[in-house]
Amino acid sequence: MQKTLGSISVGSVIEIPQRPSFFNRRLMWVIIFIGGLFWALLESGIFQNELINTGGITLGLEFLTASINPELSREFIQLTLKATLTTLAFAVSGLFLSIVFGFFGGVVASETWIKSYTIARNDQDLPIFVRGLWLVLRWILVLFRSVHEVIWALIFVAIIGLDPLSAILAISIPFSAIIAKVFSEIIDETNHEPLNALLNSGVSPTKAFLYGLLPLTFADMLAYGFYRFECAIRAAAVLGIVGVGGLGYQIFLSLQTLKFTEIWTLLFALFLLNGLADLWSSILRRRLGVESRCGGTCIDLEAIQTTRKGVDPSYQDRVVKFSIIFAAVLVPLSFWYINPDFGILISERTSQNMVSVGQSAFPPTFEVFSLGEWIDLSKITLSMSFLAVAFAGVIGLILSFPAANNFLLPGGIFASGREKNAPRLLATALLVLTRGLLLVLRSIPAPIWALILLYVLFPGVLPGALALGIYTLGVLGRLMAEVVENLDERPLLALKAQGAGMGGVFMYGALPPTYPRFISYLLYRWEEIIRATVIVGQVGAGGLGRSLTEQLSSFDNQAVLAILIVFIVITFIVDMISASARKTLRAA
Amino acid sequence: MVGPSGAGKSTLIRLLNGTLFPTSGEVRVLGQRLDKLSAGALRKVQSRIGTIYQQFHLIDNLQVVHNINAGHLAHWSFSRSLISLIRPMDIQTAFNALEQVGIPEKLYERTDRLSGGQQQRVAIARVLVQNPEAILADEPISNLDPGLSKEIMDLLLDLSYRSGKTLISSLHAIEFAKSHYERIIGLRKGRILFDSSTDFITESMINSLYQGRN
Amino acid sequence: MKQVLILGFVLSILLVACAPSSSDQDTEPFVISAIPDQNPEKLQRRFELLADYLMEELDVQVEYIPVTNYAASVTAFRVGDLDMVWFGGLTGVQARLQVDDAQAILQRNIDEEFHSIFIANTDSGITPIEDINGLSQLKGHSFTFGSESSTSGRLMPQYYLSQAGVELSEINGEAGFSGSHNTTIELVEAGSYESGVLNEQVWLSHVESGEVDLNKVQGIWRTPGFYDYHWVIRPDVVERYGEDFIERVTQAFTQLDVNNPDHQEILDLFNAEKFIVTENGNYIEIETIGREIGKIK
Repeated sequence: MQKTLGSISVGSVIEIPQRPSFFNRRLMWVIIFIGGLFWALLESGIFQNELINTGGITLGLEFLTASINPELSREFIQLTLKATLTTLAFAVSGLFLSIVFGFFGGVVASETWIKSYTIARNDQDLPIFVRGLWLVLRWILVLFRSVHEVIWALIFVAIIGLDPLSAILAISIPFSAIIAKVFSEIIDETNHEPLNALLNSGVSPTKAFLYGLLPLTFADMLAYGFYRFECAIRAAAVLGIVGVGGLGYQIFLSLQTLKFTEIWTLLFALFLLNGLADLWSSILRRRLGVESRCGGTCIDLEAIQTTRKGVDPSYQDRVVKFSIIFAAVLVPLSFWYINPDFGILISERTSQNMVSVGQSAFPPTFEVFSLGEWIDLSKITLSMSFLAVAFAGVIGLILSFPAANNFLLPGGIFASGREKNAPRLLATALLVLTRGLLLVLRSIPAPIWALILLYVLFPGVLPGALALGIYTLGVLGRLMAEVVENLDERPLLALKAQGAGMGGVFMYGALPPTYPRFISYLLYRWEEIIRATVIVGQVGAGGLGRSLTEQLSSFDNQAVLAILIVFIVITFIVDMISASARKTLRAA
Repeated sequence: MVGPSGAGKSTLIRLLNGTLFPTSGEVRVLGQRLDKLSAGALRKVQSRIGTIYQQFHLIDNLQVVHNINAGHLAHWSFSRSLISLIRPMDIQTAFNALEQVGIPEKLYERTDRLSGGQQQRVAIARVLVQNPEAILADEPISNLDPGLSKEIMDLLLDLSYRSGKTLISSLHAIEFAKSHYERIIGLRKGRILFDSSTDFITESMINSLYQGRN
Repeated sequence: MKQVLILGFVLSILLVACAPSSSDQDTEPFVISAIPDQNPEKLQRRFELLADYLMEELDVQVEYIPVTNYAASVTAFRVGDLDMVWFGGLTGVQARLQVDDAQAILQRNIDEEFHSIFIANTDSGITPIEDINGLSQLKGHSFTFGSESSTSGRLMPQYYLSQAGVELSEINGEAGFSGSHNTTIELVEAGSYESGVLNEQVWLSHVESGEVDLNKVQGIWRTPGFYDYHWVIRPDVVERYGEDFIERVTQAFTQLDVNNPDHQEILDLFNAEKFIVTENGNYIEIETIGREIGKIK
């Protein structure tokens, strides 16, 4: 090779360009990641302590073997059915309110909205207070979504009492904030020419939005709304554990009394519910011609690049029509089933409670912990969340390829194209298996994972990190598989055509275009995991999350507020780190 | 190879580089029946055939050097491929290849920052590094403007002459086929309409290819 | 398409508006509840039977609402969604401190002299001890409480640990909070935690029913007695049901008689022989300890 090229070289004088420095920003992040991982492992005591509790393995095995023998008595099936309906109803009504709030929040929080006012008023600078108000709104959205649904539920019980509305709002508040964020980004990304044309011809901003912009964004918003459906079901299940009822609650009950066969009946119901929601939303997205790459809580312009495959989303499509009608029936039925009392919201008692809860929380008392304690707690929370992220990221990367439908299946990138029936069956089985596994992982709420893991692991950071990591893996693996499915396959086929092996095609073809998106999803989930450390307190290493539930049960609202503030600060820091890492990623 | 869209040019190229297998009949490449080979043996044959595409089919967010080194993949071990992704190996070969296609200064550029013509040059450099016995080019210039098209065609031809490699192209532009190739095969609806030395190609043969189309 | 959307929207508004509203009834029911200190199925049976009994005795609508979170039961009592709650020692004090004039009115005979029991996995090498100072054995072993708000599963044990000179930082790792008495037994039996502490009653009933393998986990020390579970009632019930309502409730409980077959079932479900009158003053010690440990501010 060398010789051939040498002999035909034209004898140019150009020298080999200077190799870019090995120590670039990307490498810096890799070093930070590995260092962070090492630190988190150290912090989790993985190098010093025994980890596996052999004493609990029998219990763990008993749990697993019960899966082939779920409780199927008529009575229990009825109970499961009822619990499933409850979870579904809470998810649907919570999501409905979130979409309504999120829609308005999204419009108001969008750059486009505020800009259209400047265009309409024909002056460049908005009054400072409007700009300020707008910034405050965006910050409030961040605040809303960095507090976990379980904490919201307790706050709402203190304000409006035990009405189911508390649970619905507990789901809606953080969900609205996330949806508002995503909707505002959809609006900002949409073509603004029709809007500007209307604005320039003197139409008021509200009307211009209604006619010039919102119709263009409708398909994206609808798709994202349905995408959140599965997330809402998971949130409703977790809330169940703290007392709303439904599947999460029943699972927790059966787990406490060690009735493993019952747990599996309930778990299968949960898998089914999540699986159907996932299926529905992915079919709908395809039919709408929106290939939403937005997942989990994606909170960045880059991540929601929705690409249209068709030109016009076809609202006339039968599936789309049916979905909308079905949703229109499901929503009122859900509200009817749960029967929340909206009147409570305007009752005198509620406003009194709101004032008293508010007063009881001010001023926040940061003195509950010394500075050293704050740091220790934050370290535990950070190391737990970081381990969870690393675990979910690495395993998710491995599972996402077999879980994607364009790799091993016939016609896929790693298929030779000459398969007989046997490999086809094998590949299909592998696909169904990995997808099923991911579904199972994400369907089981993290606190349940934590309790199951405690059977076989010794308490500490590790079981908490694993519980959160396993759950996150289920969500991430699915998202990553979607990234892989949206991959342009032709460059990979080109590598394959020149005789490269599977490893080479994978490393040079499949990884480079997908990993930036993988990492950016992972970074989004990191924020989510920090939020969720609140719900794995039973593992004996809770950090800030456990302190929060402790102070909530001591009714020390000033301390609760202090911890929440620290939580939010950490979330911001993590957000900044991940924004900076993403920037490097895009530039590299 | 020339012919209207849908004539089967790309299909034929895919049959030749082993990414597609015939439902009936047989394809022999370098003396071997591709559909009868084991996966490993197939890869061995494939490594002796290089392909260039209309859409370049490079990995956008890799540096040029990695895209060129991808030409080594059939020979490199797994670990070597991996290490090279972290710290590029065999720079000299990659540089020489890039020099031959005329853009040696772009070695460490990110591939998606290059223009279309430059990207096609990178794709050609990748094939050079692969050092196959034959080069297949599937509409290599359809995505480029006329000026660039000529440069790329000249380059391909030049490389083919100097290295003695067979060059098979599918082309839309008859003029380039006539000006750059010695033998022209006319395809229409999956069949060979003519197969002749360029010198004997007549206007009516070309017309018969596109008959019934406007 | 638009019509479908509009139709759906109108339909949903209608259905929501027509949904039966809970405030339709003439007199609001007397709502009782309990802290979720153990298996909720058991609680459900216990309190539904009790609700039926009270309905008959008091001649008012009585409703049992299960709550699955300790803090939520206190909060719901504070906002007035629950009229009378079966609290633990600590939660009862927390609740009374948040509702002026709320009263502790009743407890079981056993609650005057309630005990916690420390348990340990037999492989841990922890052995039964004679007196409180023996708790120092737990240093260097892992340990779990029950729920963070539990009196017998957390508050008093933590107090006795500190009396014995055991700081929580001296146990191996952080002290766990299993969430419930049942889970504490499970986790210690499995060896996840080497030791733990719980409500003695729950322990005894597990031992009795054979649900626990005594070869794997054993009781190591029973704490001295303290006041625990009791009923706390909101003062505003008298406005709804009459001046003598609280006395009538007290009466209904104290007249429960083991020898009456109907009563016996209720008492059995409460693991009690009888209910006796109690008063706020009985829980001063709990309150003091609660403040010391930081569970009461």
